[in-house]
Amino acid sequence: MQNTLLLTLLLPTLTVPFVYLTGKKSAKAAAVLVALIAVADIALLSTTVPAILDGTAEHRYVESYYWIPVLHSSFTLFVDGISLSMAIITLILILTAALFSINYMQGRKGLAEYYALLTLLSIGLVGVFITSNLMIFYFCWELMLVPTYFIIGGWGYKEPYRAAFKFFIFTHAGAVFVLLGIGAIFMITGDLDIFQAQAALMTARPDLVKWILLSLTAGFAVKMAIVPVHMWLPDAHSEAPAPMSALLSGVIISAGAYAILRVSLGTVFPAVMSTDFGSQFLHGLAVFGILSAFFGSFIALVENDIKRIIAYSSIAHMGYVLFGLSLFPHQEAMTGTVLHLVNHAASKGLFFLSAGAIMKQLEIRDIREMGGLAGQMPITATASTTAALSIAGIPPFACFISEFLIFVGAFQAISNDNFYLLPTALMLIATVLSLAYALRYVSHVFLGSAKLEKAKEAPSSMKSAMALLTALVILLGVWPTFFIQLINTVHFV
Amino acid sequence: MIGILDVFLPIISCVLFSLLTIPIVKATHKIKSKRNAVILIWFLMVFITVAITVANLAIKYYEQPPPQPFLSITLAAEQFAIFSSVFMIDAISIYMAIIFTFISAIVFLYSIFYLDPDKRLSERYYSIMLIIIGCIIGAAFSGDLLTLFIFWEASAAGSSFLMLHQKKPESMHATLKYLVMIIIASAFIVYGLSIVYGITGTLNFWAVKQALIALADKHLLIIAFVFIAAGYAIEAAVVPFHMWLPDAYTPAPASSAAFLSALIDQGSYYILLRVLIYILTPPTILDWTLMLAVLSALTMVVGNLLALTEKNVKRLIANICIADVGYNLIAITSVTPLGIMGNLYFFLIGGLTTALSFMAVGILNRKGFETLDDFSGIGRKMPFTSLALLFGAFSFAGIPPLAGFIAKYLVFTSAIEGNLSWLAVIGVLTSIIQAAYLLRLINYMFGKAPKEETKIREPKKLLIPIFIFVTAIIVLGIYPTIILNLIEPVIQQFPFVP
Repeated sequence: MQNTLLLTLLLPTLTVPFVYLTGKKSAKAAAVLVALIAVADIALLSTTVPAILDGTAEHRYVESYYWIPVLHSSFTLFVDGISLSMAIITLILILTAALFSINYMQGRKGLAEYYALLTLLSIGLVGVFITSNLMIFYFCWELMLVPTYFIIGGWGYKEPYRAAFKFFIFTHAGAVFVLLGIGAIFMITGDLDIFQAQAALMTARPDLVKWILLSLTAGFAVKMAIVPVHMWLPDAHSEAPAPMSALLSGVIISAGAYAILRVSLGTVFPAVMSTDFGSQFLHGLAVFGILSAFFGSFIALVENDIKRIIAYSSIAHMGYVLFGLSLFPHQEAMTGTVLHLVNHAASKGLFFLSAGAIMKQLEIRDIREMGGLAGQMPITATASTTAALSIAGIPPFACFISEFLIFVGAFQAISNDNFYLLPTALMLIATVLSLAYALRYVSHVFLGSAKLEKAKEAPSSMKSAMALLTALVILLGVWPTFFIQLINTVHFV
Repeated sequence: MIGILDVFLPIISCVLFSLLTIPIVKATHKIKSKRNAVILIWFLMVFITVAITVANLAIKYYEQPPPQPFLSITLAAEQFAIFSSVFMIDAISIYMAIIFTFISAIVFLYSIFYLDPDKRLSERYYSIMLIIIGCIIGAAFSGDLLTLFIFWEASAAGSSFLMLHQKKPESMHATLKYLVMIIIASAFIVYGLSIVYGITGTLNFWAVKQALIALADKHLLIIAFVFIAAGYAIEAAVVPFHMWLPDAYTPAPASSAAFLSALIDQGSYYILLRVLIYILTPPTILDWTLMLAVLSALTMVVGNLLALTEKNVKRLIANICIADVGYNLIAITSVTPLGIMGNLYFFLIGGLTTALSFMAVGILNRKGFETLDDFSGIGRKMPFTSLALLFGAFSFAGIPPLAGFIAKYLVFTSAIEGNLSWLAVIGVLTSIIQAAYLLRLINYMFGKAPKEETKIREPKKLLIPIFIFVTAIIVLGIYPTIILNLIEPVIQQFPFVP
């Protein structure tokens, strides 16, 4: 088809009012509608797979439409291996989040708005990954923000609007620095297409490019919740309703990592790659990556709130990802990093959903009050354990493969640059820490003697959502070939 | 070819209709039923006529673009030329006339429903509004400094009647303050203009510019510049001359506040743009960029901080108007084609957004909600009004896909192009503050529980003009090409700045 990607964006855009109206009648029908839209989008996107795998030398599928000629912007949509993988996993998570919501959100007020916002969110989330125009990219980047704000605020826990406010202001502050960077790119190159701009930036003044790179990366790092700009994440992730937490942790922070890879490293970085600043920049990424990995892991190890543990583990994992990105442009490392984003999204989404199931059934959040739930909630326990082990990097679950690939890349990098010796060693230690907090979580919540009599297994829609993601996490662990093949078609530099 | 009549038609028709409005609206007092419908039809006719005259001018201009960057038309013949007014038509003035007509028509629609129609004074209110629209279109078409001065002061002074329409004691006070500021400003401007006339012997934009380029000794010109810039800065509420604005807008009726912010404010920025860039062009004539850049930074910081500490929502929006002056000044200071494009886009979007916010707040004020605390839970009680205010807030904060984002993007990018990256950084940082206090407003509206759970009936007629503006900011945010194509000729005209 000719307008596949445009349709992918238009479909959720046009169905927002229908979702809202359906939701007014029946929340369940609205959830099914959201899920169906996600399935349709996946179907649309998967038609581009042949074009990517056996297409042109660039392995890209591009569509371009008339938009703002004055600003040299056309409405350009594209997919390559990386963006397609990210878009597909995003849609899978939206699908499961909608399914999970049927029972999870039952009895809450204003579900019509909730599902409409979820649909709106999916436009932003998918749009970020499938456009090569920085203006549309920024549109979608901020479009992730507003629905998320209202979902956290409207259906969250404790003081939800406080957490939502923090989330909005932090990420918006990051976003305006991205905007500065985009403005500067436009000024220098006269183009807003990331691939055209990359070539044009090669001849620009290096000191200017340096500032653009820093401004963009700092902005993206806020979304990615890298220490020390992570402060919004624990509140937002733990106060949000579980399906939103899954999306936040699975996709929204991954979008930050994707943006660093695509825009900072892919577009701007090549211009300064051969300079001293280039290697310093990469080393800086590695340092912040390690900082985040250790910080997140340590706090996850001592935290008692069921969702905050997982939230801090997200910070740790974004640390691994940033470390992976610092190995740019080693092919294995890049493939591993993107694959880790995909695997982490699936595992972390599952982790948050299962935690949400526990919270919904027990109405407590402190893991010290739990115990022995494995017998009472077998399916939730299986899902949670699968997610925890995947997060810990245990084979045959998903995250093992991608972490392994990142380390392969790291060892290759060591042979070129001695600097990476220490970071790689530290990163290996950090993975041990992740095993520690994962096991602590599982043993506190599911093992030991049953402390809670009334615990019951989660209702059917939540079970099916978890089962779907559990299957996916195992599948990605034993048969990662599809995504690896896709991602491997993209070569940087 | 555009004749003097084509230029005069929009201005004259506004003034003429304004005179006719008084007897006609007075006559409607006798009608018992369908009074509003009669008034509505009358003003519909008025605005259709004005729109046709403006469109006539635009079509004639674009059919045969003049060889010169702008077309100047003189009222009288050769030897009297010195005493007569000069009108100047270029892409900018036509664009301004179009947006003035569009915005004022919608605000007018709101005023008709907003002002209690049984009040005696309403015919005077409408007729003053029409005169102001005429004068402001006249100011947009002016081709010499004196004509500009006369038209502009007429509209600025005229707007004081709109402020004290409700005759509240505090609005009397504020209007007095405003009038004093306007008088000081016009004194400054007249003094500056007399120096310019003394130096150059003319007040025609183009002639002044040519004479000033040739000028060797610029000491006197600097004095003239200081007076002119200070005068227009007072009228545009540039910090440190901003104090009158929140005082004047807060007690005024919402329809007046919307009208003033959307027309008088944007008009004053337009005049800053015209005088500073097109006449006193840096660096060929005077290098004022750094001074203006500092003022712009100050205005953004002070305006946003004032809004951050403000509890009264209407005053908060008035403070955003001050901050908007700062953002407009960024683009003016950059002295780039992109900056002028950003300015022109900002005029429209800033006007739409402030007008829409004032109009929505006006509805809420009517129901007795004034402060942030009163606004708690409004989102559930009056969903449509608060939805409109929500869109206004997000557009102010520059969240895409609303039009405010494109405006801010153009402005910040122009600062980078004009080698004023530090100003862009300040702009970006203050826009984070802006997002913070607007989000706090949204938090109050949607996040807090209302004091009482009763639903309040929303006045549907007042929501129509508001949602026209909301649609406009959404459409112009997603597809700004509609407007950007209209102002693109400005870039082609920019080269006459050497």
